[in-house]
Amino acid sequence: MDTARARAGYADARFVRSRVERLSTRNGRLDQLDSDESEGIGVRVRVGGAWGFAAVRGTGRADAEAALARALTIAEAQPAVPDAAPLAPEPVARGEWSSSFERDPFEVPLEEKLAVLLAADAGLRTEPGVNLTRARFSAFQTEKIFASTEGAVYEQRVTECGGGIAAVAVEDADSQIRSYPASHGGHVAEAGYEHFLDLELPGHAPRVASEAVALLSAPACPHGRTTLVLCGEQLGLQVHESVGHAVELDRVLGREASYAGTSFVPADGIGSLRFGSDRINVTADATNPGGLGTYRWDDEGVEGRPVPIVRDGVLAGFLSSRETASEIGLDRSGGCMRADGFVRQPIVRMTNVNLEPGDAGSLADLIADTGDGVLIETNRSWSIDNRRLHFQFEGEAAWEIRGGERGRMLRNPSYAGLTPEFWGSCDAICSPAEWRLISLLDCGKGEPGQVMRVSHGCAPARFRDVEVGVA
Amino acid sequence: MITGELSERAARNGGPDAFALVTRERSLMLRFAAGRATQSTEIDDVTVDIAIPFHGHVGRASTNEVDDAALADCAERARLAARAAETAGGEGRFPGFGASDREAAAADAFDAATAELDPEQGGAALVEAFETAAKHGVEAHGIWTVAEQEQGWATAGEGAAERRSDAFMKVICIAPNGRSGYAASSSVAVGDISAPELAESAARKALAAGDQAELPPGEYPVVFESHAVGWLCDLLAGCAFNGLAHAEGRGALDGRLGEQVAASRINLEDVPAHPDTLPRSFDAEGMRKAPLSLIQGGVAQAVAHDLRSAALAGNGAVTTGHALAPGGHASGPYPTNLVLAGGGAADEAELCAPVERGIYVTRLWYANVVRPKETLITAVTRDGTFLIEDGRVTRPLRDLRLTDSVLGILSRTEALSREQRLASDGEFYGRRFAYGVVCPGLRANGVRFTGGAG
Repeated sequence: MDTARARAGYADARFVRSRVERLSTRNGRLDQLDSDESEGIGVRVRVGGAWGFAAVRGTGRADAEAALARALTIAEAQPAVPDAAPLAPEPVARGEWSSSFERDPFEVPLEEKLAVLLAADAGLRTEPGVNLTRARFSAFQTEKIFASTEGAVYEQRVTECGGGIAAVAVEDADSQIRSYPASHGGHVAEAGYEHFLDLELPGHAPRVASEAVALLSAPACPHGRTTLVLCGEQLGLQVHESVGHAVELDRVLGREASYAGTSFVPADGIGSLRFGSDRINVTADATNPGGLGTYRWDDEGVEGRPVPIVRDGVLAGFLSSRETASEIGLDRSGGCMRADGFVRQPIVRMTNVNLEPGDAGSLADLIADTGDGVLIETNRSWSIDNRRLHFQFEGEAAWEIRGGERGRMLRNPSYAGLTPEFWGSCDAICSPAEWRLISLLDCGKGEPGQVMRVSHGCAPARFRDVEVGVA
Repeated sequence: MITGELSERAARNGGPDAFALVTRERSLMLRFAAGRATQSTEIDDVTVDIAIPFHGHVGRASTNEVDDAALADCAERARLAARAAETAGGEGRFPGFGASDREAAAADAFDAATAELDPEQGGAALVEAFETAAKHGVEAHGIWTVAEQEQGWATAGEGAAERRSDAFMKVICIAPNGRSGYAASSSVAVGDISAPELAESAARKALAAGDQAELPPGEYPVVFESHAVGWLCDLLAGCAFNGLAHAEGRGALDGRLGEQVAASRINLEDVPAHPDTLPRSFDAEGMRKAPLSLIQGGVAQAVAHDLRSAALAGNGAVTTGHALAPGGHASGPYPTNLVLAGGGAADEAELCAPVERGIYVTRLWYANVVRPKETLITAVTRDGTFLIEDGRVTRPLRDLRLTDSVLGILSRTEALSREQRLASDGEFYGRRFAYGVVCPGLRANGVRFTGGAG
C-alpha cells in the first residue's frame, strides 16, 4: 500500500479464495460432480481519475507487487480524466465478519448430498411422460481480505448453499418445464447445508413432474389485458430487472451504455420520479439474514446497510459506489460495489433489492380479492430493453383466477409492460407473513463479464390491466 | 508454452484414465463511456481442469494453483467425486476419454503483437475513438480488448497445446438526441482493428437524418445486418444443434434431421478453421475440430456432440469435437465457429431494394430463448434501427421487440449479402472464450415484432 500511495490517488487490493461445488443428476443418474477452487489478488488503482486494475493468480508479496505495477501502468496509459469526482468519504473498514451457517456444506460427505439428489430425481420420474429430470446442489464459499491506501483492512467469509429440481416433458413440437423452488438453478441462500435440506426437494418432486406433463395439454395463456398476480421468483425477477438494474447509478450516469445499457431513471430523479403506485416501497438492504446480497463490507470497503430506493412510489435512492455517489452529490456510497472473484474489479451491483410487504393478507386472500386474472410464479424467459423500460417475461406456468379462486393451469404464460406504468398498476401487496427472499444466481453485468448472485425479498403482488399472452 | 507441460503434470496426478485441460488467459480490456476512460482490467490467470472417469461417472475438479501439491489435491477432489457417484448411484454412462480422434499437433491462431497486451496501444485507440466521435458531436462508449490464450490438454498417453490471440473493439456513439449507432470488429490480430473507422461508422448511424418513426407491433420485412444475424444463429445453436438436448428429445431438430427446416438458400456449418473466424483446433475434451454441416440447402443435417452426448444418443453417434468442458458441460455441446454462407446481394443496400416498407436492424440485444423446441426467441433492437421505405433506408425508427422463431425467420429468408463478417461481442464471462459467427446480412419476410423498446 505504501508503494501504491506514492503513485496513485487511491488504491485497494483484494485477496479472494473461492470454493464452489456443483452436483447434479440427470434422468436418475449422477451427472455433474464439479469442485472448483481458485485464489489470487486483484489490485485497483486510481491515477489522474483513470482506473487501472490487474489480477494475478499468485498470492505472494511478489505477485501483489506485480499486479500493482501493472495496474499503475494501465491506469497511466489511459486518457486522463481531469474532472473525475473525488471518492465519497467513508469510515475506514476494519475487522472480521463471517456469514452464519449451521453445517458447512463442504464438510458434508458427498454421498449424503448425492443421496438427496437421487431421491429427488426418483420422485420426478414417478410421472410417466417426463423426458428429462434434474436435481441440483450448489455451494459457494468465498474468503476475502481487503486493504486500501486509506487504511482499511478487513476479512470476510461468506458461505452459500442451495439447490433445486426440474422436470421437462416433451410432446411433438412442444416442450414444457416445471421447476422447484425456482428455475435457473433453484434457490440458494447465504446459509449452510441446512438450507438445502429445508428445501425438501424429494417431497416436491412428484408435483413438479405432474405439472410439467399437465402443461402439455393445458390451454395456452390467452392474449389480452387482465389482472396479473405475481409471486415468488417471477416477482423477484421483475424487481431485479425493472427496479434493481434501473437504479444502478453507473447505468444512470451512462457508464454502462456500451454493454448493460443505461436507464430511464434520471440522476436527479430522487424525490420527484414516480416509479410506481404509492404502495411501492423498495429497499436495497445488505443486512438481510440469508440474502445473497448480504455482507458486512462491499468490495471497496463500504459497510452494507439498508438504502431506501423507492418510497411511496417515488424514487428515493440509488445503488451506488463511492465514485458514482460523489458524482451526483450524495454524501455516502450505498455500499454496492461487488466483484466476481479476484479477477474482476468491483462494479455497482445489487445487494438484496426488496419490495417491501403490504397489507393484502395472504396469497389466498389476494386471489380471493382479485376476481378474474392470471397468476404467474416461476420464470422461464426474460428480456428487457437497454433503458430498463420495456420488458417481456415468460413464466413456466400460470393459473387462471376466476371468481376469486385459483383455477386451471395455463401453458406458455407471458406478459409485457412499461416499467413505471407496470409498477404504477400495482394495487395490492401481500402482508409480511408472505414476504421471503428469492435468489437469482446468474446476474450478468460488466466488461469483462461478471456473474453475481443476488436475492430479492418480496410478497405476492397484484397488477391491474397488464398485457398477457404476448409471446 | 506452459500449458503443455502443466496439462501433462495434471494428467499424471489424475492417473491412467484422467484427462487434464489447462487454459491460461492473459488479457487486457479498456472500457470507455462518454469519451472518458472508465475501467481497465488486466488478467493473468490459469485454470487447470482434471476430469477422472470412474464406472461411467466423471468427477471434475479445477484449481488455479500449479504446484504439484495443488494438482494432487485437485486430482483427489475429482477422484473422490467420481467414486462417490459410483457408490451413491451405481454405473454411469460416460464412455471415458480413451477412444480418441485427437489432434497430435495443433495449429496456432496467434499474433504476437496482440499478445503484448500493450496498454499504450489501447489508450491510443481510445483517444482516436474519442476524437472521431467529438468531430461528429457524439459521445463514444465501448471497449478495446486484447488477449493471449494458451490451452493444452493431456491424457496419460497423449496431449497437445496451442496458443491463440484475439482482439475486439466496439464503439457505440450516442448523439445529443439520444439516437445511437454501433460498430465492432474482432480478429486474431489487433492490427486489423481501426478505432477511427469504427467510430466513424457508429457516428454515421447515430446521426442518421430524419425524424424518428414508430411502428406498431406486427409482421414486417426486415434487413438484418450481420451482427444481428450472428445473434440469430447463435441462439439457434443452443436450441437446435445441442446434441445433448437433441438426444433427450428437447432439441428443435428432434425428428427433423433430413427435413427442410429453412429456406433452400440457408447453408450453415461449423468451420473451426475458417479464415474469418477465431480458430481453435481442439475442443475441451481434446477432440479434433473439423467442419460440421448443420443445415445444407435448408435441410437439417446434424447436431453437435461431445463424448457424453454422443454416448447418450447412441446409434453410432460420435463426438464432433464440440465439448465445452471435459466430460461435457452441464448445458451440452455447442458449435463455436458457425459460418452462414453468403448470397448474391452486393450489400445491405441491395437487400433493402425490394422492400416497400420494412425495418433495418443493426443489432439485437437482450435476447433470450422463450420456447427452445420452437426456436422461439425474443430480443430488442438497439443502436441503429431504421425504417426502410421504397427500397431504401429513409429515417431512424424507434427500437422494437422481436419475438419470433429463428427457424421461421430462416425459412422466410429471401436474400443474403455476399460479404460475410465475423459477428462477435467481446463478452467474456468466466475464463475468456472468444468466439463469433461468420455471417452475411439477411433479408427475411414477415418477421414478428411484439412491442416497442428503448
